[in-house]
Amino acid sequence: MRIAFLLVVLAGAVFYSYIAFVDLDFLTRRGRLGPGFFPRIVGVGMVLLMIWVTVDALMKREADTSPAQKWADVVTLMALAIGYAVFLRLFGGFIATVIYLGVALSVLNRGRYVQNAILTVAIPGGVYLLFDRLLNANMPPALIDLPF
Amino acid sequence: MQPKREDKMTTTNESQSGWVRATAIAAAFAVPAAFAAPAIAQEYPSADETLDWTIAFGPGGGNDIMARTIIEILNTYDLYPGDISAENRAGGSGAVGWGYLYAQSGNPYGISTTSGSFVTTPLQADTPWQPEDFTPVALLATDDLVLVVNGSSEIETVEEFIAAAQERPMNIGGTGTVNVDFIVPTLFAQRAGFEFDYVSFNSMSEQTTALLSDALDAMVGNPGEILGLIESGELRPLVFSGQNTPAALEGVPTMAELGYDIGVSMPRGLILAPDAPAEAQEWWINTMQQVVETPEWDEYIASNTLTPTVIYGEDFRTFLENTKNGFEEVLRSVGAID
Amino acid sequence: MDIFGDLLMGLSVAITPINMLYLLAGAMVGMIVGVIPGFGPSAGLAILLPVTFGMDPISAIMMLAAIYYGAMYGGTITSILLNTPGESATVASTFDGFPLAKKGRAGPALVMQAVASFVGGTVGVILITILAPMFAQVSRSFGPPEYFLLAIMGMLTLVVMIGKEWKLGLISALIGFALGTVGVDLETGQGRYTFGSAELIGGIYFIPIAIGLFGLGELFFAFYQGLHKTGSGGIIQYENEERFWPTAQDWISTRMTMARHSVLGFVVGVIPGAGATIASLMAYSTERSISKNSENFGKGEMAGLVAPETANNAASSGAMIPLLTLGIPGSASTAVLLAAFLLWGLRPGPLFMEQNPELAWGLIASMYLGNMALLAISIFAIPLFVQLIKVPYRVLGPTVVVICTLGTFSVHASFVETYLMFAAGIIGFFMRLYGFSPAALVLALVLGPLAEEALRQTLTISRGSFMIFVERSASLWIIAITIALVVFLPLLNRFGKSAGQAEKAGG
Repeated sequence: MRIAFLLVVLAGAVFYSYIAFVDLDFLTRRGRLGPGFFPRIVGVGMVLLMIWVTVDALMKREADTSPAQKWADVVTLMALAIGYAVFLRLFGGFIATVIYLGVALSVLNRGRYVQNAILTVAIPGGVYLLFDRLLNANMPPALIDLPF
Repeated sequence: MQPKREDKMTTTNESQSGWVRATAIAAAFAVPAAFAAPAIAQEYPSADETLDWTIAFGPGGGNDIMARTIIEILNTYDLYPGDISAENRAGGSGAVGWGYLYAQSGNPYGISTTSGSFVTTPLQADTPWQPEDFTPVALLATDDLVLVVNGSSEIETVEEFIAAAQERPMNIGGTGTVNVDFIVPTLFAQRAGFEFDYVSFNSMSEQTTALLSDALDAMVGNPGEILGLIESGELRPLVFSGQNTPAALEGVPTMAELGYDIGVSMPRGLILAPDAPAEAQEWWINTMQQVVETPEWDEYIASNTLTPTVIYGEDFRTFLENTKNGFEEVLRSVGAID
Repeated sequence: MDIFGDLLMGLSVAITPINMLYLLAGAMVGMIVGVIPGFGPSAGLAILLPVTFGMDPISAIMMLAAIYYGAMYGGTITSILLNTPGESATVASTFDGFPLAKKGRAGPALVMQAVASFVGGTVGVILITILAPMFAQVSRSFGPPEYFLLAIMGMLTLVVMIGKEWKLGLISALIGFALGTVGVDLETGQGRYTFGSAELIGGIYFIPIAIGLFGLGELFFAFYQGLHKTGSGGIIQYENEERFWPTAQDWISTRMTMARHSVLGFVVGVIPGAGATIASLMAYSTERSISKNSENFGKGEMAGLVAPETANNAASSGAMIPLLTLGIPGSASTAVLLAAFLLWGLRPGPLFMEQNPELAWGLIASMYLGNMALLAISIFAIPLFVQLIKVPYRVLGPTVVVICTLGTFSVHASFVETYLMFAAGIIGFFMRLYGFSPAALVLALVLGPLAEEALRQTLTISRGSFMIFVERSASLWIIAITIALVVFLPLLNRFGKSAGQAEKAGG
């Protein structure tokens, strides 16, 4: 995993530097620092350091000792968060929050049905009152209008 | 960071009733199919249809204030028979809101107000729309700029300024590059025959302190935001870019009076969705002719130090096209866009 | 000297039952708004501004000032409890605030931050009262060269943040700089990494990244460590319930810290545009470099929380100076206040205080009252907030996700920013897991654009010459202070330390 993450960051750094060298000018027409001046320095710095760190990591490669169970919960939470993001776009702030909390609590807070049911309704309700009624703040609008 | 003039608050005497929640409605991201086939056999506007007024920026900005001022005038004088629903559809420097209106092609009940970003955002991003795509109603006012120097400067008049700048290139500050702040001094310098270095800032307050600290030789800015400093003598106004000088800047010449007319300013106007029916366009032109005659509108113009410049219908489309081309030319010549 | 006459007049304007009610309401609402991640003082003020339309200007300005202060007080609460800074000025408060909470000292940390905020805010107002005209001079001597030097001073904190794993820390900072270059280039107007998207024209906003990296990242990491399964499942276990109040040691060890950073924060706040963020960062790195316990910083040192908290509140008072004396808003929040002045038909500028003495002094008086009210509210509210960390993680986790998401969305009504927040959360988890520094990334994202823009402006003004930095007296002052901070203070400190105890390696 560590190597994979490092490689992803390295790829990002290479892409960033590529654009900095291809699209952005180092100096402006008047000979001052151009839009590409700092991106090139930052990009090259990132790439070099990332190569160094990645090679280091490959040299003293240690087995991933973390048990799968540790990952299971994190991955669940991340997947739930991504699902929440999708639902927000589709159903809007209130409905998506109800769905998300319902699912997330039933997975993470297993067995406490009454508590979960109350929280699933109370938290979105409270947030709605606070954001929409009290503060006049924006809540995500729905792409699909539900029939209620 | 992009200069967001829209984010800057300007002033109005708009009251609490003008405030409508900034929530976007469900339709903000989808084009209801019904708009595809507009059939207005009966009279326009129908009292049964709700007017869908898009404000492409958040509450409190210049665009928002203008839209709500017009809506209030329409309501006060009973100029529009139906309900008006104003929604802030902010995002992407106006791209979201005007994109929403663009998608309602042919619908006579979609309307929006324009501001500087209406011209500049399509130049900077791949928006599906261009300013001239929309059905133009009217240009109502323009945002113009005043060139100022530090109150302790030896330069007293614009003639002295030009002479000094011809001798030794000056630096002039402004907000952002893809903006009138850059275009106006560039064209002015071309006409008057001097060179300068443009220094781009994120906000009016940064450039004002830079000028007060003597880092800058001069700057351009909206008069409304620096009137206090002009009044107290901390800043000295030299020349105004609009067609006629606002009352607060009495005695300051305009660029046109000096013979250096530049004809570029930020359009504050009203547009309908693309290909809106001619009767809708006509109805709105007639209505806006009444709106600009009201005392409330005069007050709005005065308190925001705007220049009242009224152009209707297709002339407004031409104005938008010219403004866009003028921008494009200057920006391309300095390499800001390609 | 009729300052006291003016102040009394201000107080008499401010202390009416209805005004006090607005002040209290504003303080409470401000605090609630500040607690929500994403809503800093400026977003809170902009959203609540319309509430004050139609009110009497003095009541309205008092309420707005109270919201402003309330949000500053409230913003730190999530920094301490959830490691989620609500805005850039409280990032520095997470460095030691969250470790303190993890050590079981959330109660003392919250009390000390309220006291630090009170001291910073009040000293700030006192300085406004006595020295406003003098500081007006400071706020008008800053141009691009000075801003560049200030940003560099702020970056000294980065060196602290990078720490032992210097390669990973430096990469984190570089990623932050890289993100900071996204958007339309200020000088040339050319798009950088915008790929034609209108959403990216204005660059990557700091808030979604900070909330994602700190808030969500921390949450994912806690689940990775299995915190939701251990014991009660709360963030921390209180071994000792009596330890709610700060110890005598906390008070004694931080009293000079408060004094120092009230003044430092105020002076930085007076500079338009520099504001509370740089003040809090400078306070943190200064405090660390002069502290006798510098090795404890980042591990839950009380002074490491008190320093940035005092400074950011003092700075928010200082930011009133350019607003009141020049009509120039020094921060996003004071820009909203300026808009409010304009709405009431007032014309801020150098003549503002002369022309509107009642309003100006009423505002100043309300700042004294507001700070007192907020200290009281905080002390009452802290026991409630402390309960939050006893909520089991398996319930708190999803709730935090909801609040972070909706808070991020509501600031600009942007889905793109909301998705950025989620992405930053996942990346933040991996960064934490593999020893990168999310704090360095966020600091670089805030300071990078500031430094780049100021340097390029400076070089345009000077036509490419670096001599401008020594030709301007304000620049020379900043350089002198920086050298003092970087070279002399640590030397003095080390000298003092080595006399008492064995010399420690590194530094």
